Amino acid sequence: MNDPHDPSAVMLPRQTKGKRPQFFDDPAIDQVMTFVVELATELAVVRTRLDTVERLLDEHGSVTRAAIDAYEAGPGVEAERDAWLAGYFRRVLRMHAGEAPGPIES
Amino acid sequence: MAARLEESPAGNIEALYRPTHDERARQRAVSMLRKHAIIDLREAMRADYEARVAPALGGQGQPRGGWKAIEAAMCPRPSYRFYSTVRYNAQEMCYLAVQPAIERALPAMIDVARDLARRCPAGGSLTLDPGLAMPRYSQALDVHLTPGWVYREYVPDDVAQGAVVSFGGKVFTGQHPYRRNRGAVAESIGYWVRQRFPSLRPRRLLDIGTTSGGNLFPHVATFPEAEAHGIDISAPVLRFGHAIAQHAGLPVHFSQQNAERTSFPDGHFDLIVSSFFFHEIPLRSTRAVLRECHRLLAPGGVMVHMELPDEASMSDYGNFFWNWDTRNNNEPWYTAYREQDPLALCAGAGFGAADCFKLLIPDLQSFGADRYARFMRGEIAAPPHGGGGWFVFGAQKR
Repeated sequence: MNDPHDPSAVMLPRQTKGKRPQFFDDPAIDQVMTFVVELATELAVVRTRLDTVERLLDEHGSVTRAAIDAYEAGPGVEAERDAWLAGYFRRVLRMHAGEAPGPIES
Repeated sequence: MAARLEESPAGNIEALYRPTHDERARQRAVSMLRKHAIIDLREAMRADYEARVAPALGGQGQPRGGWKAIEAAMCPRPSYRFYSTVRYNAQEMCYLAVQPAIERALPAMIDVARDLARRCPAGGSLTLDPGLAMPRYSQALDVHLTPGWVYREYVPDDVAQGAVVSFGGKVFTGQHPYRRNRGAVAESIGYWVRQRFPSLRPRRLLDIGTTSGGNLFPHVATFPEAEAHGIDISAPVLRFGHAIAQHAGLPVHFSQQNAERTSFPDGHFDLIVSSFFFHEIPLRSTRAVLRECHRLLAPGGVMVHMELPDEASMSDYGNFFWNWDTRNNNEPWYTAYREQDPLALCAGAGFGAADCFKLLIPDLQSFGADRYARFMRGEIAAPPHGGGGWFVFGAQKR
């Protein structure tokens, strides 16, 4: 237990050394933005997992947790998922008109 | 474990990293989030600047007060604040998204790296110096918002930060049009050196600040006759890189050294390269490293460093945009480095003024060999730095 030389016990640091910048007048907004961005990312993870479930059901008619975790998306599926992700972040992080223009469509 | 290692002549350290379904999904989402910040929100910020801020500063061409005035005017604007916060959070998440899988794989990764360091089946070597004095600046903060950066060691023979920087870097570049392939910079530099200095036949080449060798390995293919060396001050990234090289069959020599004063003899190298390096060290160290390059190069030898374009090579808005990383990406020397003229830095290190160069070279893969030939003839220009081109500077030693 707690052997300092045991690599299986290593917990990598989650905090960065260095002063965190403050982008908003109220630092609480900086913190809330972290919550928002993390939450949006978690929803994208759930959406991807649901997509895996749907694809497994389409293909096999049944699904198990093991099959979900073993699922490897091919290049075609990854491209579809990337297109969805790009649109997703554009919708979730929609900027107000006026102060700053919205994202430029390519 | 030992028996299994002997069955595989060179264990694949990267294959030990096995993120779960949801971890992979998170990494992919973070790559896209970062792209949204660096493309969409960046464009929104620029449009805001052009429409509302530039006119107030007296026009886009020559705003009063240069890039610092632009920064002061942009900081309170929502376009800047939201661009910055999304980009900052996405940067942190690149590394947070890979850490759990690395923690699980760490014992096996260390075993593989240790075994390959002992046997070196591909040739090459790994020479560590546990007594090396680490420069204070190198551990004062976590560059690129990578917790532990390249230097932290948690257990003996540790490779964890090598894996964090390497796999986190793949999340970072996952949606980058020109950096998805590891080694794109080295491929491009090697190709350009071949064209620009056709008679150069390096006996030995050196990559300084090599981390895990990502921009060293392509030079082995470009210059197969050369003995390839990579140095860095941090052991975890070198151990990790050495294991990758051994698995790939690349006879690369990694050693833990400070590039300001290496153990190599005078004139030992015919080609010295680096990438993304000088802006991470203080100016005093930059000058010392360039003097060391001059000492290490044989007559006729060449050094080529890929770096950020200097301030004078960029618009005021470009300088405001690039210097963001100084405070917000834990890269404290970034602005001070970019204020320098790379040609003057080289001349100050002992190179002849007429033998120094700075220019944009095309990214090889995206530009293609046909257009590259036209670029070499001076018929077409290279794309901008980071947008299909790479800014390089360097010199030839007489």
